[in-house]
Amino acid sequence: MTGSLRWLRRTALRVVPVVTGVVLATFFLLRLVPGGPAAAVLGDQATDEAVAALEAQMGLDQPLGAQLWSYVSGVVLHGDVGTSLIYNVPTSELIAGRVGVTLSIVALAALGTLLLVVPLAFAAALHKDGVIDHVIRVVPAIGLAMPTFWIGLLLIVVFAVNLGWLPAGGSDGVRSLVLPAAAIAISMTPVLVRTLRAQLLEVLDADFVAALTAAGLPRRRVLAHVLRNAALPTLTLFGLNIAYMIGGTLVIERVFALNGLGALMFESISNRDFPVVQGVALFCAVAVVAVTVATDFLVDRLDPRSRLS
Amino acid sequence: MTLSTPRTPSTTIRRAGVAVLTAGVFVLAGCTASSSPLPGGSAAPTTTAPTPGGTLTFARTQSPTSLDLHTQITANNAFAIDKIFEPLLSFDAQGEIEPWLASEYSSSEDGLVWTFTLRPGVQFSTGDAVTPEDVVYSLNRHLEVGGPLPLHAPITSIEASGTDTVVITLSEAYTPFAAELAGFSNGILPAGLGGVDEETFFKDPVGTGPFVVDSWTEGGDISFTKNEHYWQDGKPYLDAVVYSLVQDDNQLVAQLQSGQVDVIDTVASANVATLESNASLTVSTTPSWVVEEVFFNTLDEHFADRDVRRAVSYALDREGIVAATSFGTAEVAGSVLPPSIPGYDASIDSLSYDVDAAKAAIAASAYPEGFTTTLLVASGNSLRAQEAQIIQAQLAEIGITVEIESIDLAAFRERFRAFDFSFMINSATSDVADPNGIVTFQADPAGGTNGYWTHYDNPEVTALIAQGRTLPDGADRTAVYSQIQAMIAADAPFIPLSYPSNIKAAQATVQGLTVLPNGSVRLQDTWLTR
Repeated sequence: MTGSLRWLRRTALRVVPVVTGVVLATFFLLRLVPGGPAAAVLGDQATDEAVAALEAQMGLDQPLGAQLWSYVSGVVLHGDVGTSLIYNVPTSELIAGRVGVTLSIVALAALGTLLLVVPLAFAAALHKDGVIDHVIRVVPAIGLAMPTFWIGLLLIVVFAVNLGWLPAGGSDGVRSLVLPAAAIAISMTPVLVRTLRAQLLEVLDADFVAALTAAGLPRRRVLAHVLRNAALPTLTLFGLNIAYMIGGTLVIERVFALNGLGALMFESISNRDFPVVQGVALFCAVAVVAVTVATDFLVDRLDPRSRLS
Repeated sequence: MTLSTPRTPSTTIRRAGVAVLTAGVFVLAGCTASSSPLPGGSAAPTTTAPTPGGTLTFARTQSPTSLDLHTQITANNAFAIDKIFEPLLSFDAQGEIEPWLASEYSSSEDGLVWTFTLRPGVQFSTGDAVTPEDVVYSLNRHLEVGGPLPLHAPITSIEASGTDTVVITLSEAYTPFAAELAGFSNGILPAGLGGVDEETFFKDPVGTGPFVVDSWTEGGDISFTKNEHYWQDGKPYLDAVVYSLVQDDNQLVAQLQSGQVDVIDTVASANVATLESNASLTVSTTPSWVVEEVFFNTLDEHFADRDVRRAVSYALDREGIVAATSFGTAEVAGSVLPPSIPGYDASIDSLSYDVDAAKAAIAASAYPEGFTTTLLVASGNSLRAQEAQIIQAQLAEIGITVEIESIDLAAFRERFRAFDFSFMINSATSDVADPNGIVTFQADPAGGTNGYWTHYDNPEVTALIAQGRTLPDGADRTAVYSQIQAMIAADAPFIPLSYPSNIKAAQATVQGLTVLPNGSVRLQDTWLTR
């Protein structure tokens, strides 16, 4: 019980500063940047009076302290992240409408990454220093060397425009998520393959592998044990990557014209729709922390040493 | 009219109208003013009978944020609003004013009393007949709200008369009134919003337009179904229209090429040739009300000097700039008015490219040795970036060293609104089919934006602008606008660079895509071949 209490405290110590930091940083950074939402709504021909009137209506004529207080108290006391200045609907509604797309891409990309990483790492480790190993160590690095948006554009040209197998973008069900997820997976794979390969090689040399093999355990079951022991560092890295993906889908959503959180964030920054930018940033911060906490939890559970204690 | 930055969020500010020929079908080819070839099925003869039915997927770079016609101005909202609400008058693809919900209109000899006769049989999408009271309510609400596209006409009263007549009285003659009424923000809604509150009404609005909102996700797609009570016989042909949100130029092209969407709303000029070479697509290039311009802050220490501004005008090779940046889709500009606006005068001296004249003008200025200045542009617009670089190179020829400052659009707006710039590239868009709109905003100090953020103030020009508003249409009025255009060009508070086109691309199966000069599309005329 003290263990879980400690865990809770440790988690709170991580969550609270990060979330508070994100809230304050987005609030003040947004207001430091020149430009406001009223001019975006009214256009360039709007008179100064019209802009001032709309800003007053939006509450932007209030002192900064009052605005911060109304935002923070809304979040803390009512779980309310405010109302969009442009759409005039609750920010939470806008986020709820978009989050599915973003999380689907992240989930699909994570799955794709796993499906690529595990077989490739095994193949490389089992053929150490052979041709296969070299190919697997070099070819995926190309994915690392190319920016994700560029990989995305290549996938669009090949699979959507030329072959016509998949949609170029847009919200056409799961099919339209395949290419963006693939683009992310391709860029995530190289580092993970190398990490897992190195761990596999280390574990393959361990005494217990020799012992299990000598005991006549089938090769596949031996390898399962190897994977389990080698996976921990990769899993930590994978968790960090997923956290990174949540923020990183912004670019890929743009490339594939997916209407997810990234697109919402991008548009809201352009329009200076303060509550929405703050809301999305807050959501992402919470999601990232949640993923890292979950990863730690999982690593903890998988590590035989922590189970013993 | 408006400074706007095409292809960037929330910027293109255009007044949309519903609009066009009540008689007959206007196919894509018919409204293509430029000579762009229309391969494939686009050349469908006008004799082909339109096929009813089908859903048109129309890709647009921004989703609507509000359908309240009185508080909105940007294209993302305007071109959804104009499918739902229609004004008394409208304008066609050539910008000609035409009767719309009013079948007839006239103004008294002195221009003070305007009488509108409602077209018989026009109904709202609920099936209720449109009455003069609805018109009175709609225009009064617009007067009350004001909004970004207010009624500028000096209206003293709007009165219903009998069962089908509305009489509007002005305190002084105002010739642009008909053009102003033809804007989307003067659409007609049911009196009292049909008894519901504003928020409810504008989520699912009731109008006379060809389409009604089917579903709408804020910040996402909006879909329309046909208005079964539409007053034009047999129209709209389409059962439904979906405005699909595609926020990227390359995606627009890719989704059109892969057949995911039927029409794309904007085409980057660099992409036109690629699309035109595709036989299953059509590209439409039509005149717009947009003028791409260099704007000077006439309070700036250097650009306050008229000779400096004239020198810049002479130093810019506009033909070169247009050739290098528009891929043949824009025309070289001379006047502050685009050719699509009545009164445009091509014959004025626009101080066009002449290096010797430029050198003479800078020598006569307070800065004969030249100076260093900063050109402000909004980032994320490759066209502007290119233009800025060419301008930088060309001004170096007359000793003006230009630094380019590229900042994001919202910051850009804040800067010019505060007159915190020396000169900038932006575009202006007329909201009305009348020369008064553009010249008022750009050159009348009382026009609301300080001469479009130039602080231009020439009392002679201001007097002429006032005269142009009251003179009845005819040779005298045209002469006044010629004079205004010539005087503005001579003072050079802004230098018109080019007249861009409205460029749309569609599947060859899309017929009757009438593109209006404000950039909107009349979808009641559109149909799909199978």
